[in-house]
Amino acid sequence: MKKLQYILLSGLLLMAGACDKKLDIEPLQSVSETVALDSDANVKLVLQGAYDNLSKDGMYGGNLFRDAELLGSDGEVRWVGTFSDPRDIFNHEMDAGNTDVENTWSIAYQTINSCNNVLSALDIVNADDRDRVEGEAKFIRGVCYFELTRLFGKPYVAGGSNSQLGVPVITTATRGVTEASYVSRNTVNEGYEQALSDLLRAAAILPEDNGVLASKYAAMGMAARMYLSMGKLQEARDMATAVIGSTQYSLLPNYEDLWNQDDDTDEALFSIQVSPQDGVNELVTFFSIPEFGGRDGDIEIQNSHLALYDPADTRLALFYDGNGAMRTGKWKNQYKNIPIIRLAEMHLIAAECDARLNGNGALQLNPVRERAGLAPLNQAFVEDVIQERRRELAFEGHKIHDIKRLGGTIDGISFDAPEFVFPIPAREIEVNKNLQQNEGY
Amino acid sequence: MKQLCTTILLCLMVVAGAYAQRTISGTVTDQSGEALIGATVAVKNTSVGAVTDVDGRYTIQVAKSDAILMFSYTGYATQEIAVGAGSVVDVTLVENANVMDEVVVIGYGKQIRSTLTGNIAKVNNENIKGMPVVSVEQAMQGQAAGVNIETVNGKVGAAARVRVRGVGSINAGTEPLFVVDGIPLSKDSRNTYGAGLNPLADINFNDIESIEVLKDASAKAIYGSRGSNGVVLITTKSGKSGKSQIELDLQYGFSQPTRKREFLNAAEFVELFTEAANNSDDIDGYAYDDPDSWTTFVQGRFFRYSGRNDDWMSKIDKTNWQDEAFQDASLYNANLSFSGGSDKMRYYFSANHGLNEGILVANHLTKDGARLNLDFSATDKLKMGVNLSVSRTNTRTVSDDNAFSTPMQLVALAPITPKRDEKGELYDRPVTTYYNGLIDVEDATRKVFSNRTLVNVYGDYSFTQSLALRVEGAANLYNVRDEARFGVRTDAGNASNGFGESVFAGATDYNTNAVLRWNKAFDKNDLGFDLGTEYFESTNNRTAVFGEQFPTDELKTLASAAIITGGTSTEEQYSFLSYFGRARYNFDRKYLLNASARVDGSSRFGDNKRYAFFPAFSAGWVLSEEAVLQDNPTISFLKLRASWGQSGNADIGNFRALGLYAPGSYNGQSNYLPEQIANPDLTWEKSTEVDFGLDWGLFDNRINGEIDYYIKNTNDLLQQVPIPATTGYKTQWRNIGELENRGWEFTVNSNNLVGEFKWTTSLNLALNKNKVVALADGQDIIDDGGTRYANVVKVGEPIGVFYGAEYAGVDPANGDAIWYTNATDGSDPRATTNDFSEANYVVLGSPLPDLIGGISNSFSWKGVSLDIRFQGQYGNEIHRSGDVFMSCNACWFDNQTRDQLDRWQNPGDVTNVPEARLGYSNGDIGRSSRYISDGSYLRLKNITLAYDVPTKWMRGVRSLRVYATATNLLTFTKYEGWDPEVTTDFLAGNTVYGIDFYSAPQPKTIIGGIRIGF
Repeated sequence: MKKLQYILLSGLLLMAGACDKKLDIEPLQSVSETVALDSDANVKLVLQGAYDNLSKDGMYGGNLFRDAELLGSDGEVRWVGTFSDPRDIFNHEMDAGNTDVENTWSIAYQTINSCNNVLSALDIVNADDRDRVEGEAKFIRGVCYFELTRLFGKPYVAGGSNSQLGVPVITTATRGVTEASYVSRNTVNEGYEQALSDLLRAAAILPEDNGVLASKYAAMGMAARMYLSMGKLQEARDMATAVIGSTQYSLLPNYEDLWNQDDDTDEALFSIQVSPQDGVNELVTFFSIPEFGGRDGDIEIQNSHLALYDPADTRLALFYDGNGAMRTGKWKNQYKNIPIIRLAEMHLIAAECDARLNGNGALQLNPVRERAGLAPLNQAFVEDVIQERRRELAFEGHKIHDIKRLGGTIDGISFDAPEFVFPIPAREIEVNKNLQQNEGY
Repeated sequence: MKQLCTTILLCLMVVAGAYAQRTISGTVTDQSGEALIGATVAVKNTSVGAVTDVDGRYTIQVAKSDAILMFSYTGYATQEIAVGAGSVVDVTLVENANVMDEVVVIGYGKQIRSTLTGNIAKVNNENIKGMPVVSVEQAMQGQAAGVNIETVNGKVGAAARVRVRGVGSINAGTEPLFVVDGIPLSKDSRNTYGAGLNPLADINFNDIESIEVLKDASAKAIYGSRGSNGVVLITTKSGKSGKSQIELDLQYGFSQPTRKREFLNAAEFVELFTEAANNSDDIDGYAYDDPDSWTTFVQGRFFRYSGRNDDWMSKIDKTNWQDEAFQDASLYNANLSFSGGSDKMRYYFSANHGLNEGILVANHLTKDGARLNLDFSATDKLKMGVNLSVSRTNTRTVSDDNAFSTPMQLVALAPITPKRDEKGELYDRPVTTYYNGLIDVEDATRKVFSNRTLVNVYGDYSFTQSLALRVEGAANLYNVRDEARFGVRTDAGNASNGFGESVFAGATDYNTNAVLRWNKAFDKNDLGFDLGTEYFESTNNRTAVFGEQFPTDELKTLASAAIITGGTSTEEQYSFLSYFGRARYNFDRKYLLNASARVDGSSRFGDNKRYAFFPAFSAGWVLSEEAVLQDNPTISFLKLRASWGQSGNADIGNFRALGLYAPGSYNGQSNYLPEQIANPDLTWEKSTEVDFGLDWGLFDNRINGEIDYYIKNTNDLLQQVPIPATTGYKTQWRNIGELENRGWEFTVNSNNLVGEFKWTTSLNLALNKNKVVALADGQDIIDDGGTRYANVVKVGEPIGVFYGAEYAGVDPANGDAIWYTNATDGSDPRATTNDFSEANYVVLGSPLPDLIGGISNSFSWKGVSLDIRFQGQYGNEIHRSGDVFMSCNACWFDNQTRDQLDRWQNPGDVTNVPEARLGYSNGDIGRSSRYISDGSYLRLKNITLAYDVPTKWMRGVRSLRVYATATNLLTFTKYEGWDPEVTTDFLAGNTVYGIDFYSAPQPKTIIGGIRIGF
């Protein structure tokens, strides 16, 4: 009996003693912050993560394009879906609680933080790859600040001081929450300066060919887009023609082949990679119909848009009748890549600059026209180029930005009205008293 | 210690040697003359005992002529009878009205109710047995004071939310700890497809002997870091020595929804939407016949919705889509049990099988299970036992509330739309307004198979009369497999030639504990100590694979998928290591003292804050034992209790303290994404609770009850504190803020009539006031800022309070929806505006009830019994979130509820429904009191009429009961939606209360049953 008592009691003690170590349990699905930035290979994985963030639904996975088209619709598309947040964007009746707006804001800053983390750890990246890693991080960060500033700030005024409020510009990695985390908004000028300097640095150090990742020409293309939006025509034209002249890229003979591709085409400077394995193509979700993996056909193309095309225009054939309305064929397969910037836009930028600077943009415009089955023009005025942009780049996220750049109207309301500026998300105003809300929210 | 053992052994031998044996026999019956089978007969102050047989007979050896026999039987008062000279002693036992002597299960032990100093609610087997519901929580609904139980909706096997004494946390868990035979069970749903299922649905509650809910700190602090939300101890039945008893219970019945809503018929649909389009044309300045006008647009839609024809013009009802969402549901349950044993070995065995069809189309659940509980007395000192149960639940689930494929969203489809085309195929978009969820019924398979094995092995060794050690080891092996397959016509499989997913989720939990008990009674003192240690470890893993491109819908498994689109496996572990102790003292059962403490360590927290200490103290004073009251004819029992203690909440998920990067994938390559910002100081939530109680009994305890007042303060709340998203993170886990629950609880049990016609009443009521005391520094509110829902966390208000614009109805002049400005800038707050953004948000009501309770009455007369139980709640509001679409004065094409016909039409109309304007927002913003309704209800939860057929003339039949039971038969409420017992199943979080979003109403079930005992 005494033996039994001993066994039981010592068993009890053993159990108590042996268990303490059992409380040391590490996660199996995540790694700690220090590990993630401690080696060349890991820093590069964090950089890949920045691309992953850039490809999310709130960014180039879809909403940046969708919202630019909805907000600047001006009767060319109609939102008929049930989601109220895109509907409010479409009706330019957003409120600060709009969850899609909030999503874009949050994911953009997550992406920026990924980039800042990479940039903070450049010294442990292999020297051979250091420029490439820095360039890619700066490309992504620059793109984020460009998109954020033009959505959340009042329109950039070419040649102006642009002291209107943009978004907070943060260039250091977040390690904890401190006083400094409660940032204020920088001006539109400061946001553009940051974006442009990131893109120019990226263009200077990135390789010419970088697979599906950001290359020198992707950065130059994005810089050309920025320069145009800032009214810096000379710089925009130089950048665009440099890309065109690189011979890395060519206009595809057939417009239709640009869309719904597994691999980047020869025309694409930079695309978001989508496959059944990963990535998301939210443009298909909203522009397409269930048959192709869309919702219920939430966005219908209106006659006022279709009327822009000449009947001979091959781009017209891309539209299709689905679920009782016309749809764009650009976004028709949920597992295909999303081209973000492509060579035709370079031609259009160069053409517009030519037209504005020299009065004739025909040289750069005609390749785009001819590819669409249209006769070349001898004389292309600014308005010809602008009209061509509306057709060539339709539903690729340019609409509201072009209207703002060109000083047009939407539903009869002036481009610089407060309702075309995204609200600073309510949750952000709530947690950070240093942020000033936009007019009208 | 050895000396003590020897002494006891010697004493026993002396006693045995002194026997001069004599045989006594007799019969034990109850007041009605029925034999009591398995009653215990013992010779007082000896170890001699016997058990009555099937005829109530016993024989026993006694040694002395002055021996005293003790007769006892559960539920009956123990009688002592001196043997005297005769050899026959027949006894009639009287049912025990004295609830104060009831044995109550406490944490790691048992105690007699009259000596309790804490607050424990008990639900017995007879209160839940045979209920035609799926889960144990549903069965106990309304039966324990202060325990709020809500099945989130009427889907079969739906999750049930249990809140003990209010909502105890903002971001961490709020469910009490469920412990079944010593093993804590997680209440997290583990299925992937469809709405979350209740994992406890597989517990066969007919096997449960009793459920004890530990409510105050002194009762639950022994569970330390896991006790803060209360502890529900479930004890399954064990066999009793005596002849085998067999019981078979069979039941069959039907269910239907408690209520349906009224929707527009075809004529009303066409009328209202034409009017809405005309109104929008008036705004936009279109002529109605303009090809771009809203009216033309609407007519185009009518044409489409009719199946591309002009049938809509004849205004004939084509489909009642609400009816299509429901099915005629039937259910049956069979339950078989054997129990019995000798004084060395006792067993309880049961098997059950049942099918429950849900009220929603294609929603059903089957349950199978078996249990074996064995207890051995290996030696006089060593008792051992095993509780083993295996169970299986197969559920055909439906989507969660926020999917077009969920049956309840069928109500959005137009009444002018026929169900099928001329080929007999179900119509889909664009003929149906949205995806036709009936396609999922025909062409999708969504099955959840769950299996659970629960095993508990214990040994209990008495070193001496005073000292004993109980060692327990338990395992919970739970796995859930989802098989989902969506055909080519379904929403999910449409774009990919069919979609399939197979997910395996497993949980393996081990729990071991050892408790050393010491107990000593001397003079009038009774002193006890318990000392224990416990280790719990849980491993959860999940493996999933998905694929698409199937050759045909007939092939259901992923073996036929041409493309495997993804696969994953994950694993997580957590563990707790604990030491605890308890000291009990009472003097003459008059002055009671109790202290307990637990030290808990967990893997969930960082090294610095890994262990925490949870103490509790309580005291009781039994006034009725004092001389003044001892012979009081009225007051038979009176006890004052007070307790103070601390307990914790560690239910926050794993690894919250760490700064983490999560792996992602882009372009077919892995990557790291910043996932979580570190907080090395993260630790437990702590609840400090005081409780004052009064236990009372009148007229020999014929009427008895409890009154409790408690204040529970939870601080160091584990919160995902919002931080600026500009940091790259949206939240950080911190210990911040304070939450308070305070309230009253009342229970009354009364034997109104005793004798041949019996009538008992039991009532429980609980008032709870929940208040958010503090959030982060300077933070007044947690608000997601959205305009669809209205729940927020706001300082000074109950958690989840509705906060939004106050609806002022309709401007009679123009039909605009208007809201009160509730201006804070000095202008008239009662002024109204038609601009939603000009209306300041105010508190619009709370989704948490002020009062919950239940009352049951039982009547019995000559074998006929009637039990009537009402359950209800008062003072809560419900947000009709789905009405933003279906009651929005025809804002879009969703079919509208009929009350929308009260829309404003002409200047001067006074109504609450604004002018119908298609495609325009006129009052359809969710965040307003327009969509908030009173959610109070009183419900006839259960009514059972039973007849115990006399079995004297049936050979071998011990008992025969024929019964009929109905649940949710009547509901009294002002709520306009389907059913007031509702919380949508697609939103998660502690602020998500009182949201009705296409949520299925509760079922109303009527069954007939027969229960035979052999």
